[in-house]
Amino acid sequence: MGLYSSILIKPDMPDGRYLSERALLYVPFFAMIVFASAIILLLPYDTVYVRDQAYLQMFLVTVVVCTAVFLLGTLHNVLLWMRGKGLVSTPEKRLLCFAGRALRLLFSRMLARALGVFVRDALYLSRLKGRSWSRWFMHIMILGGFVLMFVLDLVVTLSLDVLQYQPMIEESGWAKLWLRDVGFEVAGLMMLIGLSIAAIRRFILKPSIVRTELPDAASIIFLLAVVAGGFVLEGIGIAGTIPGHQENVEYSFLGYAVSVMLPASSGEFYDAAWLVHGIMSALLIAYIPFSKMFHMIASPIAIELDGIMAGKEALS
Amino acid sequence: MIRRLDISSLDVRALMSYDACTRCGECTETCPTGGEAQDVEMVTPRGKILRLRELYKAQYGLRARILGPKKISDAELKEFAARAYECTICGQCRTVCPSHLDTIEMWENMREFLVANSLGPLSAHEPIVKSIENYDNPWMQPRTQRSRWSKRLGEEARIGDSLKDDHEILYFVGCTAAYDPNIRPMAENTARVLTHAKVDFGTLGNEEGCCGSTMMRTGLSESAKAMVLRNIERFERASPSIIVTSCAGCYKTIRQDYPKYGKLPAPIVHVTEFALDLMNSGHISPIGRVDKTVSFHDPCHLGRHAGLYEQPRSILQSIPGVKLVEMHRNREDARCCGAGGGVKTAFPELATGISELRVADAESVGCEVLTTSCPFCYQSLKSAVSARGSNMEMVDLMEFLWNSVHAPR
Repeated sequence: MGLYSSILIKPDMPDGRYLSERALLYVPFFAMIVFASAIILLLPYDTVYVRDQAYLQMFLVTVVVCTAVFLLGTLHNVLLWMRGKGLVSTPEKRLLCFAGRALRLLFSRMLARALGVFVRDALYLSRLKGRSWSRWFMHIMILGGFVLMFVLDLVVTLSLDVLQYQPMIEESGWAKLWLRDVGFEVAGLMMLIGLSIAAIRRFILKPSIVRTELPDAASIIFLLAVVAGGFVLEGIGIAGTIPGHQENVEYSFLGYAVSVMLPASSGEFYDAAWLVHGIMSALLIAYIPFSKMFHMIASPIAIELDGIMAGKEALS
Repeated sequence: MIRRLDISSLDVRALMSYDACTRCGECTETCPTGGEAQDVEMVTPRGKILRLRELYKAQYGLRARILGPKKISDAELKEFAARAYECTICGQCRTVCPSHLDTIEMWENMREFLVANSLGPLSAHEPIVKSIENYDNPWMQPRTQRSRWSKRLGEEARIGDSLKDDHEILYFVGCTAAYDPNIRPMAENTARVLTHAKVDFGTLGNEEGCCGSTMMRTGLSESAKAMVLRNIERFERASPSIIVTSCAGCYKTIRQDYPKYGKLPAPIVHVTEFALDLMNSGHISPIGRVDKTVSFHDPCHLGRHAGLYEQPRSILQSIPGVKLVEMHRNREDARCCGAGGGVKTAFPELATGISELRVADAESVGCEVLTTSCPFCYQSLKSAVSARGSNMEMVDLMEFLWNSVHAPR
């Protein structure tokens, strides 16, 4: 089945127009994927702890593939939304129009309101807090940990591999100790607490409102495995005195606690554990558009739309 | 040949919302039809969202694009449609959803989707739909009988004809108050209160048409559109300053749905808002004492859908002697009466079960008089009061107000 007999094409749509509308979206989109892949592959990674370069290469290739899968999966889902009521052209063109409107929001009077809605309802989850403090705490731990880890990843990658910022590289540098060690530990711990509560609630307490099917169980177990795996990796690094894990190890407090339970010989498996943790993290990202975790993209949009519509209604 | 669902009738925002559902289940706890009355997952908001998403993704998801669309049996589709119509569209789920999904719009749109795919409305809705199409009202009554309620008032009320003469206020009566003999007092008492306050008002008489709410709630948006445009044209001819309605369903429909199709020539207010203004401006004063414990049931169309919570309560509190008590679930958490969304028509037993729960809510706080301001809530709760053998009195708010306003000093 060729592109032109695809179900996405309205029968009365001239093929030429269809192709040009698709190109407007896909050319910049694939350029973005190539650009992101190039950045991932070309960064120097002088300061990564893994010793075997082959492992690093395997990880980077996996990250590139998983990032592409994440972006394509997200685009596929979003294009499906665009096929809804009132479609007069192609979903691709409609998506570009929506993206244009979203960009215009950045320069409009509604920006302050949109930011307020985002912080209050999408990050702080004010409505959930009003209904159940425990469910709110569980979710805020997972979400907060995820956001903190994402921000730290960006900051650390930028300062290590682009800026070569010394306090982030040196063993006793303040940034290394407080951002790379304590920061990641806190983010991971937050996620671990939230996910543990979620797992206990879902698999042991089983309150009536919780319905557990494979996607629910898979998401929690996958996330828990990645987060817990991070602490085990840290523990192996400290126990095996891998470079970067030899001084001030108590700053990685949870990893340090794990290391106490591990023999020094576990350091032999550090590279393998690093690769497994890295690949699992990348797979988790690729899995997002096809799992219930896609709500982390769709929910903030729904919350923003609700807030903006309410604002418009109030104005009118 | 695989039957392919037509998703072009689903809103973009609704399609996005199906993905935004976190499956948390907050909505299932308070859902009057799925959670509370029968504990059937597929009737709950989460159940409906997940099922519909599953259905359309089986034909349009990534797997379908790679391997081709999956066949969905007619039985599966019919079961989903029947379950989707078990929702009263009360909007309780919208209140509790942490993702702020506009579920009211989603359920109405879901029904449009069912109609577009020849899965709705249900056969039980057909007589009402046909009646509205043929007679412009759901009660199978001739158009010529629409204004008959007003004739019975005689000199008690001065009701003008807004299509013949200029009247500042247009009173949009609504089909139920105009035709149902048990609900007529709602229109009569509204007219009495307005006359007492010396309000210059008229109606559209026999030309008033169904507001289209039933059509919209059952997914027949195209039929509704024609009705909306006809009514807007009538409003334009009447050219009032304000449109007042005593029906919560008409109020929600005209205020929130009409602007999607055309411009209203005047703002619409619910009679509780209007009556409160009349009281505040000294045009009417409740003087008759009512030494009763009274509670107000928030109609979904008035409360959660339109945000009118305080006006009816202010009216009740201004009546001497009234002790206003709140039910445990009130305002935006108010339990639905069970009548909305076509449920009473298609699933009368389910509707009765829900309304009995609401009456039990009122009984539990020692309520002697239960008031409301919606003909459908009034009807359902009154039946439930009788069915439970309760001593509670069910009174429409305008009747309650009128009894106090015209009482001898």
